[in-house]
Amino acid sequence: MADLRVDLGRIQLKNPVMTASGTFGYGAEYEEFFPVSELGAVVVKGVAPWQSHGNPTPRVAEVTSGMLNAIGLQGPGIEKFLHDEHYMPFLRKSEATTIVNIWGKKIEDYCEVARRLDEDSEGIAALEINVSCPNVKEGGIAFGTDTKMMGKVVSAVRKATGLPLITKLSPNVTKIADFAKAAEDAGSDMVSLINTIPAMAIDIETFRPKIANVTGGFSGPAIKPIAVRMVYEAAHAVRIPVIGMGGITTGEDAVEFLLAGAKAVAVGTAIFADPMAPVKVIRGINDYLDRKGFKSVNDIIGLFGR
Amino acid sequence: MDSDCIILKNECLKGLYRRIVFSAPDIAKQAQAGQFVHVKITAMRDRILRRPFSISDADPEAGTLTLVYKIVGHGTEELSRMRPGEHCLILGPLGRPYSAPRKGIRPVLVAGGYGSAATYLLAKRCPEKGVLLLGARSDADLILMEDYQKLGFEVRVATNDGTAGHRGFVTELLEDALPVDRKACFVYGCGPEPMLLALGKKALSLGVGAELSLDQHMCCGVGACFACVVKVKDAASPDGWRYSRSCKEGPVYNAEEVYYG
Repeated sequence: MADLRVDLGRIQLKNPVMTASGTFGYGAEYEEFFPVSELGAVVVKGVAPWQSHGNPTPRVAEVTSGMLNAIGLQGPGIEKFLHDEHYMPFLRKSEATTIVNIWGKKIEDYCEVARRLDEDSEGIAALEINVSCPNVKEGGIAFGTDTKMMGKVVSAVRKATGLPLITKLSPNVTKIADFAKAAEDAGSDMVSLINTIPAMAIDIETFRPKIANVTGGFSGPAIKPIAVRMVYEAAHAVRIPVIGMGGITTGEDAVEFLLAGAKAVAVGTAIFADPMAPVKVIRGINDYLDRKGFKSVNDIIGLFGR
Repeated sequence: MDSDCIILKNECLKGLYRRIVFSAPDIAKQAQAGQFVHVKITAMRDRILRRPFSISDADPEAGTLTLVYKIVGHGTEELSRMRPGEHCLILGPLGRPYSAPRKGIRPVLVAGGYGSAATYLLAKRCPEKGVLLLGARSDADLILMEDYQKLGFEVRVATNDGTAGHRGFVTELLEDALPVDRKACFVYGCGPEPMLLALGKKALSLGVGAELSLDQHMCCGVGACFACVVKVKDAASPDGWRYSRSCKEGPVYNAEEVYYG
């Protein structure tokens, strides 16, 4: 059994495997499958100051080796998130390492959520700033595809909370290294990438888009090579830890990200096909390390290109 | 919760409609009418998501689970090619079932298309015999009629093109199928969304209790992804409604819960 603990600077994880925001609900949905505290961290679905309906249906469409989604950040809003038993109180009780993904339409919205979480921070390991959702009209990706705008959001949230900050980057940019750097310069403690890739699909029988929002975010095994490349570029551009994700289904997939320089990884779409996927990825990483004779997962982080 | 289940039978009912029987002792034991299972069709290599199917029949003694499906896309096409002895991963039973039918209450089942697959287990477990109102586009889409008749249910048919039974919508058959004492019957619906919304509204206006099995394109099946949402009334929301996860809070909703706006 290899040592799977990783040090992400201001937070330490028992293993490098997280869940990608939006693919694991608020944790409670999966407690019947395995204790969610077994994960390196649970990253919850995006939280805004307000309760939101999200987008009309259909919200998802399957494509070859992946899927498109445009859920549109349906969520309970910060107060319900903090107090309703299905959300933060469950995560506190479960003793999961919890990372709260936050979003808003204006910079002030992000700060409001960050401040509230800061005041009530028991059980919260870090915040993940969502500046990369492709499926909401305001906020989201609009902030994440301009280094100056992104820097402004991150700096403002930095002032609003002392909690460790992760900035979640969009792949919809020309040079990912610039965005990783901008997040680092604005005071982000980590970056995570990639969010989904803007994409669309059309039903050729009805001439209608396959999802109501017309465009959606592309995820799943098909996007993994893009994600590995971007993680590699980001990891070589910044000193802060990089969390890699995009199409991870197996331990081998996760290892690829770790070799590219990610200090931790997140499993997302694979959970929809197999609720046990994150646990299998943890085991898979361990099996790989044992097979290759590595004592610690840290021995392979950034091994390629070192 | 995830079971590796062997296919015992995978047969053609008629046209594009198929019936598949799995050996699934754990699921068969727990299954309640109106619930569904989420199936990983192992033959599919480049399609990653599971496919949800209503539980059509479950036999706790024999340990069998029966699903009825129509070949409509990649998943169901692959499923139709699978043979006895092959296996699928099956998650379930999932979702909120129909409320248990009560003694002395006449069940009025209203099914559109292969919605009759989902109400079959309910009919089987009803303490009273009742009626199935079966609607379809055309005669070629009417399935399971004999199965219901064998259970002692009367079957009344409506088709959009008039090739069988009443020409028109199945909801037009509702009023005639109800007893004068509305409290002595209960309506259970399954079918396409427009039909169910029409059915729910009609049931409410006729003063009869009803439950509807609603869903949407599904993804995780366990309430995490918020893909399969349907609109339900919510007095606390400024809009009067909210999106409810049909895989977790549904698929069965009381007609009074559903938002018709």
